[in-house]
Amino acid sequence: MRKKDNIAIKVENVTKRFKLYYDKPSTLKERLVFWNKKKSEERTVLKNINLDIKKGETVALIGVNGSGKSTLLKLMTKIIYPTEGKITVNGKLTSLLELGAGFHPDFTGRENIYFNASIFGLTKSEIEKRVDDIIEFSELGEFIDSPVRTYSSGMYMRLAFSVAINVDAEILLIDEILAVGDQHFQDKCFAKLRELRDSDKTIVIVSHSLGPIRDLCKRAVWIYDGEIRMDGPSGEIIDEYLKVCG
Amino acid sequence: MIKMIKSLYQYRELLKSNIKKEIRGKYKGSFLGVLWSFVNPLLMTLVYAIVFPFILRSGPEHYVTYIVIGILPWNFFTTVISQGTFTILGNAGIIKKVYFPREILPISVATSGLVNFLISIPIIFLFLLFSGIGFSWYILLLPLVILCQYILSLGIIFITSAINVYIRDAEYIINFFVQMLFYATPILYESSLFGDKAWILSLNPMTTIINSYRDILYSGVLPNMGLLFLVLIFSIVLLLIGIAVFRKLEKGFAEEV
Repeated sequence: MRKKDNIAIKVENVTKRFKLYYDKPSTLKERLVFWNKKKSEERTVLKNINLDIKKGETVALIGVNGSGKSTLLKLMTKIIYPTEGKITVNGKLTSLLELGAGFHPDFTGRENIYFNASIFGLTKSEIEKRVDDIIEFSELGEFIDSPVRTYSSGMYMRLAFSVAINVDAEILLIDEILAVGDQHFQDKCFAKLRELRDSDKTIVIVSHSLGPIRDLCKRAVWIYDGEIRMDGPSGEIIDEYLKVCG
Repeated sequence: MIKMIKSLYQYRELLKSNIKKEIRGKYKGSFLGVLWSFVNPLLMTLVYAIVFPFILRSGPEHYVTYIVIGILPWNFFTTVISQGTFTILGNAGIIKKVYFPREILPISVATSGLVNFLISIPIIFLFLLFSGIGFSWYILLLPLVILCQYILSLGIIFITSAINVYIRDAEYIINFFVQMLFYATPILYESSLFGDKAWILSLNPMTTIINSYRDILYSGVLPNMGLLFLVLIFSIVLLLIGIAVFRKLEKGFAEEV
C-alpha cells in the first residue's frame, strides 16, 4: 500500500495504435461508396510501455521526433486513451501541451486568465488568489486589460505560460514549451520550474533542449521507436543519447 | 455517473466561463451584440405575421402574440441543436490540447441557450400585456415546461455532437431535419387544423412543449399534464442514453476531430 502511495503516474503495459487513413472517409457518402476499400493502416506508436513515476520526481522524456514521447504525454493527461494497458494517475494533474489553449482573441488578457485557468480545473476563488501572481509573472502590466488579439506573439505566450505555471497542480506535464519569450523570460521560466521541482511537485517534461533538461531533471527516459530504450539518471542517459543520435 | 457529476463540479468554473463565452463571444464585435438573439426571432415573427394570415385566412386571435409564444421557444430549440451538434468539432483546438470533462461543451451550449431564452421571456410578457391577453396563474407551470425543453435538447445534442465527430454529414442532416420539424410543430398554426389526425403531431415532443407554452401563456388553461409528463420522462430517458453514447464516443474525440 505504501509503495503505491508513492507513485504519481503508473503506466502499465501500454500500447497505443493509431489508424492511419490515406483518405479518411469522414462523410457519409465516402463511407457508403468506399465501404469496402480498406485504406487504413495501423501504426503502433507505443509498444508495451511500463513506467513508474514517483511523487516529487522530475523526469525528462527524450528521443528523436516521432518516437512517441508526446503521445505518451497525451495518454497521461487522458486526452487520448491507450489501445491496451492502463495508466493510473495519483493526484491533480495539469498538462501544458500547448500554451494558450482556449484563448479567445476578443477577450482581454484578464478575462482569458480566468477562462484558461478554469480549463485547468480551477475554481473562481482559486483563480482570484492567483490572478495577481499571474499578471506579475507575465510582465504584461497595463496590457492585461486589452484584448488578446492586440498582443504580440511573445506577449501571448508569456501570458499563457504564466497561467499554466501558476495553476499549482501536483503533477505537471510539459511538452516542449520552454522556448517562450526572450532570454530574460526563459530564465524566469526555468527558475520557476526549478522552484516547482524543489517544492515536491512531480514534473514530466518532453524536450529537445538537452542542456537545460540535464540541469532540471534528475531522471531521464529515452524513448526510441515506441519503446523505452534507457531509463536512469539524466546526465548518463543524455550523454548516451547524444552519442547515438547526435 | 457519480464520477461524472463530481468532475463537473470540480470544473464548475470552466462551465460558468464557457457559458459566458458562448453568450458574449458569439456576438462580440457586432453592433447590437446580444440583442441579436432577440431581434432575430422577432424579425422572423414579423415576417410570419405578415405572410401567414394570407395563407391561413382565419388565423387565431392575436396572431402575433400567438406566434411569438411559439417562435421564441423554437428559436431556443434550434439554436441549441445547431450549435450543440457542432460544439465538439468547433472546440477541436482545446479538445486536442487539454483534458477537461468533455460533457461541459454540450452542457454549456444548452445552458447558454436557456439563459438567452430566459432573458427573452419578458418580451413574451410584453406581448401578453399589450395584446390584452394578460396572465393566468398557470404561469407558475412555466419553469416545468422550460426544464422539460432543456432536458430534451441537452439529450439530443449529447448524441448529435458526438456522432458529428465521426460522421460530418450529421450536422447537415440534422439541420435539415430541424427545419422540417418547424413545420411539423404547431408554431404558425393550431394543432386543431389537422382535425382528427392531430395525434400525429404529438409524436413530435416539441409539439407538446410548444402547446404547453401556449396553454399556459396564451390560452390561460392547464396544459395537458399527462402528455407533458410523458415528454418529460422521454426527455430524461433520452438524456441518459445521450450521456451513455457521449461517454462511449468521447474517448476518440481528440484523435478524430
